[in-house]
Amino acid sequence: MENFLEIRDLVVEYTQNRDTVHAVNSVSLSLGKGKTLGLVGETGAGKTTIAKSIMRILPDVGARIVSGEIWLDGENLLEKTEDEMYDIRGSKAAMIFQDPMTALNPLMTVGDQISEVLLLHNVKDKKEAMEKAGDMLEMVGIPRERYVEYPHQFSGGMKQRVVIAMALACDPELLLADEPTTALDVTIQAQVLDMIRKLRDKLNTSMILITHDLGVVAETCDSVAVIYAGQVVESGTKEDLFDHPAHPYTKGLFGSLPSMAVGEKRLHSIKGLPPDPTNLPTGCAFWPRCPYATDACKGDSAGGAPGISGREITPGHFVRCLKEV
Amino acid sequence: MADNTLLEIKHLKKYFRVPAGQNHAVDDVSFSIQRGETLGVVGESGCGKSTLGRTIIRLLEATDGQVLLNGQDITHVSGHKLREAREKLQIVFQDPYSSLNPRLRIESTIMEPLQHSGRFKNKAEMREEANRLMELVGIDERLRQSYPHELDGGRRQRVGIARALALNPDFIVCDEPVSALDVSIQAQVLNLLMDLQEKMGMAYMFVTHDLSVVRHISNNILVMYLGQAVEKAPTEELFEKSLHPYTKALLSAIPSVDIHRPMKRIELKGEITSPINPKPGCRFAARCPYASPQCEAPQTLEEVLPGHFVQCCRCKEINSL
Repeated sequence: MENFLEIRDLVVEYTQNRDTVHAVNSVSLSLGKGKTLGLVGETGAGKTTIAKSIMRILPDVGARIVSGEIWLDGENLLEKTEDEMYDIRGSKAAMIFQDPMTALNPLMTVGDQISEVLLLHNVKDKKEAMEKAGDMLEMVGIPRERYVEYPHQFSGGMKQRVVIAMALACDPELLLADEPTTALDVTIQAQVLDMIRKLRDKLNTSMILITHDLGVVAETCDSVAVIYAGQVVESGTKEDLFDHPAHPYTKGLFGSLPSMAVGEKRLHSIKGLPPDPTNLPTGCAFWPRCPYATDACKGDSAGGAPGISGREITPGHFVRCLKEV
Repeated sequence: MADNTLLEIKHLKKYFRVPAGQNHAVDDVSFSIQRGETLGVVGESGCGKSTLGRTIIRLLEATDGQVLLNGQDITHVSGHKLREAREKLQIVFQDPYSSLNPRLRIESTIMEPLQHSGRFKNKAEMREEANRLMELVGIDERLRQSYPHELDGGRRQRVGIARALALNPDFIVCDEPVSALDVSIQAQVLNLLMDLQEKMGMAYMFVTHDLSVVRHISNNILVMYLGQAVEKAPTEELFEKSLHPYTKALLSAIPSVDIHRPMKRIELKGEITSPINPKPGCRFAARCPYASPQCEAPQTLEEVLPGHFVQCCRCKEINSL
């Protein structure tokens, strides 16, 4: 296994009422040690589900990992027992959630929330844990005197720093950051991203950054995977994706950005809406919205159209599209 | 020029009383909006941009100052006069999930302002008008009888827009109308707002923290910091040649999608200070790389270049003007 993290043909479903939500449909991803992979896509594309599958924190009821393998440092996480996962979570792999306002316990001081993580894993002594938690606070730019304060006494940016301090407390080798700065203002976002980058480089952490902000990807990631309807429609290095986007959806995303349309009156929006995940189109999931779609893209009623499984257009740059557009 | 002015805001203040004192949410802000213009208002959360919009359209009562609509002071009008003013001043809210009544069908939501206007004789006329509005904003007729929860965010926001358009307003406050939406849907709604403005000619006040969105849609931009207007300029001028140190930092903080030409970032120290009982003097001074003792004096917004207003006593010095 050359890659630190390798996901193979992951399929995840949710059951909602009597419908099956096809959240993740055969996703394969890989991530090297110390590298950062950006997962880009719209709400409901399955980005967070992928991250939660890695952490094995999908809801017990209603969610199901149907098939696939998730190899982390040579071990298949999907074969671990819940007890084994308990040790992995927080120490080997940690996750930062989107909303710092709800990710913290309002009744516990921020310092205690960080020590709690440490005590659950490698630190046995309460005093030592408090000491280390103070260090963590300082590392994310919060004075250690604020150990005893409660989440409501912090601003949004500060709370997100606390969440990051918690996630990094046990030096995880893999960090899953789910829209870590979406809830923050731009100047604070710049500070937090800068801090994440510095810590990542210092600790040589591998990271998956989930975001819908292509600017954040451009500044933070080494490689990018674009997710649409639970599938990777395009993946490659950051340069591949930003300089030579090949999938019509990726191109559409770039066209939708106001910052890319300086001097142009209308944005090139993608028509229509993302598909209903309980009832995905056959063939390529994007064809109903795709300006280049032909009959070949629609596949057969039996499911997939052969050839829409992705092809490598330049080394390492994969596109799930039949066309050369 | 003068008769083209739709709204004039003069020394508008809105303070909220909080346990710790007075929260100066909007503190002495003056500007004007022309007919058919789009003014972008940017700033970080808590800087008072939404409060400013809401105070202008009388959803909140101003603490001090004036709002003139077509030359008439509407700051303290009531009854019939207030109703009249409100027909002209509308708002589209940020969160399309909480700004629609979950128990009202889409059609009824859009018909509600029509009922209050008294312009329509009967239900059938109103229904017809509601259908016209739905078509205008691109909502399928089949969704007429749907409830908000059956719609996605983009469609809900279209309903919010149709409701705001119902009485043919002159001015719409768009309070972060696309920040809850995905990029591809965001682009659709932005295009819709621009098309509608072209057709109907109303002015927008576009409140957002997303600078690339305001750049795209606005004619002029007002930058706010802790309740005060720190810079106002035509859009391109602001992006090309911002003069206030805060604006410079704000613009440099936008993550750039250009991977080969990363933006040189001006790092700000610290967090936004509290707007509760602020000290006189420049409110940005605590984070400003150029702060000096003279910044402790009260600052005023001055026209430094034609049409370009800045509130910074060291502005000329910093920018060597």
